[in-house]
Amino acid sequence: MGRLASSARLVVVGGMLAYRALFNWTTPAMFVGTLLAAPLLRLAFFVYLGRRLGIADDRFFVLGNTVLAASFVCVYGGTMAVANERRYGTLGAILLSPRGRLTLWLGRALPYVINAILVVAFTLGVSVLVFDVELAPGELLALVPVFLAGIVSCAAFGLTLGAIGLRARDVFLTANVAASLLLLLTGANIPASALPGWMAVGRALPLTHSVAATQAITEGSGPAELLPYLGWELAVGLGYATLACLLLRYFEYGSRRRGTLDTV
Amino acid sequence: MSEPRPYVERVGPYRFLRLMAIGVRTHVLYMSRSPLQLGEAVVTPVVFATLAFYLFRAGGQGDQLLQASVGAGLMGTWSSVLSGSGAAVQNQRWLGTMETLVAAPTPLVLTLLPITVSTALVGSYSMAATLLWGVVLFGVPLTFADPLIFVVALLVCLLALGVVGLLLASTFVFLRNANALANSLTYPIAMLSGMLVPISVLPEWTRPISWVLPTEWGTRAVTTAAGGGEVILPMVMAAVLGAVYVILALLALAHVQDRARRAATLSLV
Amino acid sequence: MRPMLAIEALDLSRVFHVRSGWLRTRRTETIAARGISFEVRSGELFGLLGPNGAGKTTTIKMLNTLLLPTSGTARVLGHDVVRDPMAVRRRIGYVFGGDRGLYDRLTALDNLRYFSELYGVDPREQRSRIAELLELVGLAGREKERVEGYSRGMRQRLHIARGLLNRPSVLFLDEPSIGVDPVAARDLRRTIAELADAGTTVLLTTHYMAEADELCDRIAVIAGGRIRASGTPAELKTRVRSRDVLELEVYGVDDTHVTRLRDLPSVRDIAVEERGQAQLVILQVDQGADPRRDALDVLDGLRVGRIVNREPTLEDAYVAIVEEAARSAAGSVRAPA
Repeated sequence: MGRLASSARLVVVGGMLAYRALFNWTTPAMFVGTLLAAPLLRLAFFVYLGRRLGIADDRFFVLGNTVLAASFVCVYGGTMAVANERRYGTLGAILLSPRGRLTLWLGRALPYVINAILVVAFTLGVSVLVFDVELAPGELLALVPVFLAGIVSCAAFGLTLGAIGLRARDVFLTANVAASLLLLLTGANIPASALPGWMAVGRALPLTHSVAATQAITEGSGPAELLPYLGWELAVGLGYATLACLLLRYFEYGSRRRGTLDTV
Repeated sequence: MSEPRPYVERVGPYRFLRLMAIGVRTHVLYMSRSPLQLGEAVVTPVVFATLAFYLFRAGGQGDQLLQASVGAGLMGTWSSVLSGSGAAVQNQRWLGTMETLVAAPTPLVLTLLPITVSTALVGSYSMAATLLWGVVLFGVPLTFADPLIFVVALLVCLLALGVVGLLLASTFVFLRNANALANSLTYPIAMLSGMLVPISVLPEWTRPISWVLPTEWGTRAVTTAAGGGEVILPMVMAAVLGAVYVILALLALAHVQDRARRAATLSLV
Repeated sequence: MRPMLAIEALDLSRVFHVRSGWLRTRRTETIAARGISFEVRSGELFGLLGPNGAGKTTTIKMLNTLLLPTSGTARVLGHDVVRDPMAVRRRIGYVFGGDRGLYDRLTALDNLRYFSELYGVDPREQRSRIAELLELVGLAGREKERVEGYSRGMRQRLHIARGLLNRPSVLFLDEPSIGVDPVAARDLRRTIAELADAGTTVLLTTHYMAEADELCDRIAVIAGGRIRASGTPAELKTRVRSRDVLELEVYGVDDTHVTRLRDLPSVRDIAVEERGQAQLVILQVDQGADPRRDALDVLDGLRVGRIVNREPTLEDAYVAIVEEAARSAAGSVRAPA
């Protein structure tokens, strides 16, 4: 019991403290500017592009880009949560900690998950009002687990990027490339009818299955039909979480072996 | 007490050109050695171009592919100017060079202008990459109404982008996370400038904002030069508005520099 | 004839406002400088000494135009730093310690070329000036290497070369020897001395006493944002000349020992330095007094190693001044209660 509480404490308190310390955007202006305004403005761009070309209705672009809104927090957040330790030179002290690695790093992801939920809710709320999108209560209810699965899986993806960032020379390069790939390959902005075959590689990325699920919902799919999408989305997330843990363990071992803890 | 040498007394045309040339050389060299900026320069145009081609094709606008190509290229360029200006200013803080730039006996605007011109130059690579990408993978024909005018219009548009970048960069000087703010401005300015999405589909109330953006006139010049139509007027408008933006940037910098000296924000990371 | 003044600071004060907190922002006020006045004559090498956070960097940044004073005035070579920053900037150089402030992905040569343009070096003169400075700081032959591969000492020397590009009449050196190894620091001191000999006015901040003692014509000790003492190194030492220094190497000194030692009648000041397992207790005592017996009584039960009696150094003078400042600050806090 005591151990469980202590682990929970590490996850929640440790995670929150690390979030305050390592997330670059904790000032109100930056938070609003980058996390709330940026996804919303990108959404608007694609809604207008869609209207001009007449290829899909507003609902398609609003829901797809709402799912994508999570990517910004999770990708950059995950990168900062791990990689900023290196920038600030605190990584050595973290790796010396006797606590379990899994709880330590999962704690790092938790604040970003909460943050992403806020961002997604905000993006959906504002864009539904601005673009006058109709959503039935049933549809809205079905969207909740879809968004959650996407956020969790994308946060795991972010941790993987952060782990890569420990070794990469320029940590934000991986984050920027990943964010671009999510924009291109998740299918949030290209309707299924126009989606070329090679973009199926996007299925190995987080959010792709959630985007597909939102389309299924607007096409009238019932809860049972959504389960495969949710399952795949979470499976992808689990895959990235496992990869992140393996990478972190490998890097930790490697840096101890070579005695380069601080220069990881 | 030694007398100041006449070379620094006034910034004449000769010194201005030297400052620009050496500044652009320094910053292009620095950016070209940054894996981050190189990576972005390679990936961003590919993403914009691919999205644009599939969307235009799906919309049955296959005949508009050159416009899609040009629009996507401009978006790549703009995104590079914006993130480049933001990153450049942020970089000076991280490197600790901001204070040495401000303490120099050269007006800060002449130090920043080469930085944004460099980002526009690096960004113009985006246009080339996008056009090439279109030709190779999507068979977009490069049938410009007038290739020469297109190149001229593109240069004017690059200057317009650089000038808007300058105005933003001057306000970034005292913001801590300048590059983060830059992220949120990519899409709205691209949209209001009519890159890929014509401003006619935007709500009526946004029209006046578009009209005062030199980037809107620059974009208009480039797209009409590619497809045919009146090019001179938009080019002139872009140039005139560009000059106004330089003056605005000067005013903003004077204010910002004063503020930075008051509030001691220069060396904050 | 009164010599020309290179720097005049008159009653300079600087208050910083720091905002903190998320939704309810709190404004905290920090006073970094409270009424600093001093004068540096042309060609003089002037040292600003003080502990971390004493206000040294703030003072330097007000003088080199990067910060506006909250109140007070300052002139550099007769030009007001607030009203005429450009005139000041043309005539000064500014070098700060640490390894930041350079374009690390560029070569030393590219860095110097860029800054010589920004600092208005005549184009016809640039090439020879850069070569001359590379020679001066001992980087000739390494100028085509990227700065990211440079050691700290090399970066610091490149910094100095950058600061000298425009042949400044006044050079501000803010802790230039920070993090530099002893050999490199010695070279650095030699370079600074040569500059001063050639007629450049130098304002140096440091917290290495030996450096200040060796280099400076005059020194001001700054603590808590105020100048506590100023004069030539010899004059400052006279403040403690009426004292002797007793050094004791002790194992396991704690705060109660320190307090009891300080209360001994002939002890004027006390400083404790860590020396591996042991501590070095430095007692400044009245001249002629020998509190060795009393001190050993206080330290009864502890292992005591070497005991040395010596003449006071500039460091002892500095400790005395800073300690006094700390005591008066503590006193002023306690006073209302």
